[in-house]
Amino acid sequence: MIGEISHFLSLSAVLLLSLVLIFNLFFFFSKIHPNQLTLSMRLFNQACWLVFISFGMYVYLAISDDFSIAYIANHSNSQLPIFYKITSIWSAHEGSMFLWIVFLTAWSILFINSLNNNHPLKKFTLLMLSLIILGFLLFLLLTSNPFERILPFGAVEGADINPVLQDPALAIHPPMLYLGYVGFVISFSFITAYLLNGNFELQWEQDIKNWSLVAWIFLTIGIALGSWWAYYELGWGGYWFWDPVENVALMPWLAATAFMHSLFASSKSNVLKTWTMFLGILIFALSLFGAFIVRSGIIDSVHSFANDPERGLYLLSFSGLITLFALTIFAYRLPALNSSKLVVTGSKESFLSMNNILMITSIFSIFLGVTYPLIIESINGDKVSIGPPYYNTIFAPLILIAAIFIMISVDALWQRSMPLRRFFTAIAVPVTLSLISMYLIWWTTSVFSILAYIGIFSGLLILFRYLLRVINNLFNKKFINKGSAIAHTGLGLLFFAVSMNSILSYEKNLNLAPGQSILVDKSVQEFSFNNIRVIKASNHDVISAEVSLLQDGREISLNPQKRKYTTRGQITSESSIHATFLKDTYLTIGDQLENGSWTFSLKINYFIKWIWFSAALMVLGMLLTIFKKKVS
Amino acid sequence: MIIKKLFIFFSFIVLSTSAFNQVVYEFEDSLQEKRFYSLISEIRCPKCTSGSIASSDAPVSRDLKNKVYELVRDGSTDKEIKTYVSKRFGDFSDYRPSLEGSNYLLWFGPFIFLGLMLIIFFIKRRV
Amino acid sequence: MNQLLRFLIVLLPIVVLIFFGKILLVDEDIKFSNFNSKIFPEFQLNDLDGNPVQSGSLNGVKILNVWASWCITCLVEHPFLTRLSEQNIQIIGLNYKDSDLKANAWLKKHGNPYLFSIYDPRGDLAFDLGVTGAPESYLIVNNQVVGHIQGEMNQRKWETIFLPLIQKAKQGS
Repeated sequence: MIGEISHFLSLSAVLLLSLVLIFNLFFFFSKIHPNQLTLSMRLFNQACWLVFISFGMYVYLAISDDFSIAYIANHSNSQLPIFYKITSIWSAHEGSMFLWIVFLTAWSILFINSLNNNHPLKKFTLLMLSLIILGFLLFLLLTSNPFERILPFGAVEGADINPVLQDPALAIHPPMLYLGYVGFVISFSFITAYLLNGNFELQWEQDIKNWSLVAWIFLTIGIALGSWWAYYELGWGGYWFWDPVENVALMPWLAATAFMHSLFASSKSNVLKTWTMFLGILIFALSLFGAFIVRSGIIDSVHSFANDPERGLYLLSFSGLITLFALTIFAYRLPALNSSKLVVTGSKESFLSMNNILMITSIFSIFLGVTYPLIIESINGDKVSIGPPYYNTIFAPLILIAAIFIMISVDALWQRSMPLRRFFTAIAVPVTLSLISMYLIWWTTSVFSILAYIGIFSGLLILFRYLLRVINNLFNKKFINKGSAIAHTGLGLLFFAVSMNSILSYEKNLNLAPGQSILVDKSVQEFSFNNIRVIKASNHDVISAEVSLLQDGREISLNPQKRKYTTRGQITSESSIHATFLKDTYLTIGDQLENGSWTFSLKINYFIKWIWFSAALMVLGMLLTIFKKKVS
Repeated sequence: MIIKKLFIFFSFIVLSTSAFNQVVYEFEDSLQEKRFYSLISEIRCPKCTSGSIASSDAPVSRDLKNKVYELVRDGSTDKEIKTYVSKRFGDFSDYRPSLEGSNYLLWFGPFIFLGLMLIIFFIKRRV
Repeated sequence: MNQLLRFLIVLLPIVVLIFFGKILLVDEDIKFSNFNSKIFPEFQLNDLDGNPVQSGSLNGVKILNVWASWCITCLVEHPFLTRLSEQNIQIIGLNYKDSDLKANAWLKKHGNPYLFSIYDPRGDLAFDLGVTGAPESYLIVNNQVVGHIQGEMNQRKWETIFLPLIQKAKQGS
């Protein structure tokens, strides 16, 4: 019963949104009715509320174990804690699509109602948002219906969520990511509305600035959570594999980062406006592309959802149409948009232009890497694999260029070139310090890898530059933009930590019987496999190994496990991690051999905590930027 | 069942000295070791939808890892090892696309793109 | 210059759309993939009865089917293989990482569609062939491996992947 009502509410939302569009289309060509906007807004708001209530009811269905709903029966289970019953909703295609739409609707209703009724862009923005939400609702109800019933009696018990997904980080990762992805529907719709409207005297940046910054924060957290989860859950000690699905989340993030910087220039100095508009459209277009790639099954990835060409075609067509619509209007208006201002070489604007170019190049590189196997396969049938070797090689020079530009541009001035003396003093110290540090690193570690050292150098350049900035601020009272400084320090730290991790980390594969111990190396002086036990937990059996290490003079206990889940029979491996400031000791247990010994994989991962910390810094820096008091 | 098995093996171990190699992949020097771990991170798992044999527990991945280990110990070069694997599992098992033919576009594409954009930017010098 | 940019901004998404649309509309299994044919690897193994496998046994058109008694999906494809063998398609088994006792028991219980099965307990030949697991099938024509099916064999895969190759081989000779 509740399932039917919930379904009905979603259908009604479709109806109302269609009415909004038809109504406005009808009046498009005739005299504008005085209450047209008010009525449209009312219909839209009601449609949004219907979506929320529909989803709320769906959550109730999941909590109350309604296994007559096919999706809930396939992904939930009565033995799950309530938290996981709820998170099982977005553990697969139909439910996660529903969540995506709820967030899309939430962002839209908040934004559109924040605009004054006499805001010239309100109507077009409303129409864009209605069209997009309607398109996705139809996609959901027509091709990926979460309300489908198992007839006539429903399932007795749920099939259970994939045990790998019964994890808090993985539960929050999709909501954060989606909030970020769909948040950029606002910049997409508003900018398209601006272009449709045609009055280019209007200022538009301020209206969407904070909305976009908040969406960026969600996207950053979403990606970082995914990486963090992959690290501690998947058992191979890696945090980023340049997997197609990771890549399609990274592309919108790069576009969003470029957008924010460009927006800054655009609102401050009246330049880069067309760049900013293009980027504002591109972000959401890339989000749509990402949704298509993940949900159409077109690319082999561990993350792929549904393998259904019908869904793929719908998503492709719908995303393609609205993206083309926005870009065509952009291209059409381009002549009228171009300002006659020249960019002075060496000015802050020129560096922000360079930044846009670099970001677009990064996006292009990832796009090339993701589509190249498909292109080659369709031309001559050969299969090519593209992964970390490719992306690491391409990105190393790009981040070096980025680091150099960041280092120089911190001191750049608006609309005029930087005096040469200033330029040299600004870069001399960071470059010198970075080179010295690199030499010290090589001297202490004796490891060399050209790509990693490029990364280390890039990170150090940024870190030292901002260190200098902070010192200047403390002693010379020179102005420092705190939010920007923190965020960029986070970026420099990320480059540094990732590169150091790649040259210093190592792995040892061991084979021990219970009671045995072994000397591993200078650092891990003793590895003792003390005991192994079998434990029974609520929905799984556990093989639990107790290992103690004598590492760098300290005694550490590790407890890697293997779990077998009763419902699906799936076996997962739970790694045991001892994380310190400098490195993580990461232990995974393998299989038991015929002679009774067990295999272990011991990984020493350096600078891992620094990587998570750098993401936190970037988010913190952005928060400061959003909430800083307006000075002037 | 497992407890019983473990008990039997445990007593067996107590009664015998270590009869097996405790370090699974043992190398002559750290360079060899680094080469090994680097290679297995660049060879694709033939059975998984995505991922290297380093990150995979599949039986065929384990076989591949052991083979790569043997070949590294025997003195084969990285290229020889990758060719060995590709002959059996297809070109698709190398995550590092070779530098030949259309792959030139792949490796240089981003930089050509960057160059083009810079050229356009400097021609226009507009905003 | 501006005109070109405006044109590209609209054209490039269209190209991307058409490209992905085309890919979606093609059947997954037959896709575009080529299989690089290669000579069947050398091996010195016995069959499940303990007799050495003769070198000439891979002449003509043969299916090589990788199977094991521990492989559950192999049971799923077994009826189809039996039907094929009844149509005089020659199938040779490759018993993969199995015990010969269990393998022979399995064949006795479920039926034996194979001319004979190569006994590969360590998986050495399988490794040289590029086997990723069981079940898996290869098409051999005159000692050349010309076709490959991953996963279980069924009517659809047989018709779309192996049959065309078999017809091509028959025309050639």
